[in-house]
Amino acid sequence: MQKGDKFNHTFQVTEDIYQGFINIFNDRNPLHIDTIIAQSKGFASCVMHGNILNGFLSYFIGECLPTKDVIIHRQSILFKKPTYLGDILEFKAEILDFYESVNALEFSFKFIHHERGIVAKGDFQIGIT
Amino acid sequence: MEKEQILKDVNEIFCDVLDNEDITIDYNTSAPDIEEWDSLSHIQLVVAIEKHFKVRFTASEISGWGNVGEMIDCILSK
Repeated sequence: MQKGDKFNHTFQVTEDIYQGFINIFNDRNPLHIDTIIAQSKGFASCVMHGNILNGFLSYFIGECLPTKDVIIHRQSILFKKPTYLGDILEFKAEILDFYESVNALEFSFKFIHHERGIVAKGDFQIGIT
Repeated sequence: MEKEQILKDVNEIFCDVLDNEDITIDYNTSAPDIEEWDSLSHIQLVVAIEKHFKVRFTASEISGWGNVGEMIDCILSK
């Protein structure tokens, strides 16, 4: 992998992922499970947990890169738009920098919805082990 | 940039990366002297130093550092 390399993947926030996240982490905040409350706050319907996207990021880093010999050093994410149940999100990542001295790679990434545009973006650093 | 100023900048990076504002380093400081300075935080220190001074080290360069002084000499050599 080298600076400038680009990666793409498609993720969908399925019912299984949504319910699985709730069952595992117990985050039953009304914003996530009560449509009336979500709409009263100006959202179209229940807002999906932002950290579902971090789960997708974990999958990408762990399973989609050319090597499995990776370890996450750091990651940060900025949530820009809500994500809803059933959303299909295009995931785009690019290698920003390679630190040969410590065998670390820095990436930028974004999750894009075909209508809402960038719903989340951020960066992460991984080490090649 | 003067060696003293580099030491000051590196000290700030150590405090930030290692989350300890009380860290004070000198040219002889090495990893055993600082509790938070382990192999994982070393990676973040090196990346932060490369970004701050806009330099790039090689793996063999950093493996040759015995203390902060040698790290700074390496920065000066860039």
